[in-house]
Formats: sequence, C-alpha cells, structure tokens
Amino acid sequence: VTIKRWAPWVVLAIVLVGALAIGSQHKGKETLDAHVRRIAAQIKCPTCQGESAADSNAASSQAIRDEIRTRLQQGQSDSEIRGFLVSRFGRDILLKPPASGVSGLVWALPVVAFVAAVAGLVVCFRRWRRMQEAW
Amino acid sequence: VTVAATAPARPRHTARWIAISVGVVVVLFVGLLATRKSADTLHADSPLLGKQAPATSGVNFSGPSDQTVSLSSFSGKYVLVNFFASWCVPCQQEQPELKAFSDRHTIAGDASVLGVVYDDKADAVRQFLNDHGGGWPVIDSSSSKVDWGVRGVPESFLVDPQGYVLYHIVGGVKDSDLETLLQQAKQAQNRQ
Repeated sequence: VTIKRWAPWVVLAIVLVGALAIGSQHKGKETLDAHVRRIAAQIKCPTCQGESAADSNAASSQAIRDEIRTRLQQGQSDSEIRGFLVSRFGRDILLKPPASGVSGLVWALPVVAFVAAVAGLVVCFRRWRRMQEAW
Repeated sequence: VTVAATAPARPRHTARWIAISVGVVVVLFVGLLATRKSADTLHADSPLLGKQAPATSGVNFSGPSDQTVSLSSFSGKYVLVNFFASWCVPCQQEQPELKAFSDRHTIAGDASVLGVVYDDKADAVRQFLNDHGGGWPVIDSSSSKVDWGVRGVPESFLVDPQGYVLYHIVGGVKDSDLETLLQQAKQAQNRQ
C-alpha cells in the first residue's frame, strides 16, 4: 500500500528532475541575430522609457544592437560586451542590476528584510505564547 | 526566587527604538538627497570623465566632400565634442553660442569645436549648418553615440589637449558657461 501511494510521486520527481537536467544542458545553436537580441534585451534603451535595446526602434538602441553584433563577430563574450556598454553609459544602462558591489544591495536587502520579518514574527509568537502560559 | 518575583520588569522602549531607527533612515535619506549633484548642474556624470576620449572620426560635412576628420587631429588643443541633430530644437538654440565660442577660440588657437551628427540625414544637416551657422568640422560617425555613451541631443564633452575627457554637458550649452569650464580646465592644468 505504501509503495502504491508513493509511486506516482516518485515517477513525478524522476520526470521533473530529468526534464530539468535535459533542459538545462540542451543548448541549440543560437543564431547571431538571436544572440544579439538576447544581450540587447538586458540593456536599457538610452533614449526611451521602460524599453530594452532589443525592443526599441530608437536610433540609440539600433546603434547598441549594431555594436553588440560587431563585438560578437569579433569574438567577445557577453560579459565583455556588457562591460563595454557599462564603461560608456554607466551601470544604469543594465536592466538587471549586477549582484556585486553596492548594486548587490538590491538583491540582498529583500532577503535580509524577509529574514528579519520571519525572525520578528518568531520572537513575537514566542512572547505571546509565554504571556498566554503565564495567564 | 522571592527576589526574582518581586524585581520590577525592565521597560522595553520598543516604540522609542523604532522611532530612532526610522529617524536614522530618514536622516540618511535626506543627507543622500542633499549631497547629490543638482539636476541643473552644468556638467553631468559620465563613465568617460578622466579617461582617454574614444577614437572618433568621420567624413566632414562642412568641408570638401571626401575629407575625413578625426578627434586625434586636434591633439594639443581643447576640443568641445558636440552631439547634435537638425531636428533638435535645443541644438538650434545652442548653435549661436557654439559659434561665439568657436569664433573666439579659433582666433586664439587654443580650442575647437567638433560636431558629431546624431541620427540625422546628410541633407538636413547641411541645411541646418547653412541656416544656423557653424564653421567647425562636423562629422557623422554611427558608432560614436555608443562610444561616447550619448543618451540624447544636445550633449557635449570637453576634451583636454592630451585627449582626456574633462567635462560632460547634457543639454544646450551657453558660450559663457563653456568659457568658465575652459578656464577651469586651464587652471587645473596649470596647477599640475
């Protein structure tokens, strides 16, 4: 009975892990256009609001896409290209802030706030329980 | 046990600590805002400040049709690299200011203006130069807007005689402000 009850969950876990393993390892041949678009999607359009350099038709975004294409053709890596754009426009050209330095606070602070909130709740619950027991 | 039972409970002062914490955060926030550079400050931040200016060259609009001009050809002079477009109203407004600055320093031989076209058509640029004046080299270099990190027009950069970027100016320039920046740059150079 126990085996019957757990079998579907075990099968589900195996399928899930297998799918994730295959999905994470499978890298189809990415075209140059797709590669340019993938990097440009991480860059803000310098002259428009709320659009990436991949989605915008502004001349500045077109220039960024051309620059990314040229540098990919020269054999530069994604991080080298992002580094070049940051060296010209500043860090705020990246749509996703880097996870290091002061910008890392953007990622760390929500985690710290969550941990502090959980710790606060634990302290409160314990205190309330002690107060109830004392009554 | 008797002592513990009769000892007065220590006051917690929770509200006071919360108020102090919030106060500290507010003071830090106000301090941060108060010490930031004002939005109307003449010169703006740029990762290029203090660094070697990007190599910039292109065909000169205001000279013979096949004449190529490069920033490096101005070596030994201060250069105001000015990004502009004919369709940009502040660019039209700043053109007389640039002309006054350029005319004065062409005679003195210590500084030049280099115009760089931003997203514009050649005919429109020629018409703009005819209508609003100029006289300094103007080039179209498609890669320059990324190389200089230009976000819009007009934007200008003051480059020193050794080719280092000194100032970044966002928006239209005034002749008097340019003169102030140039004198500041010269004084800083003399102190070195």
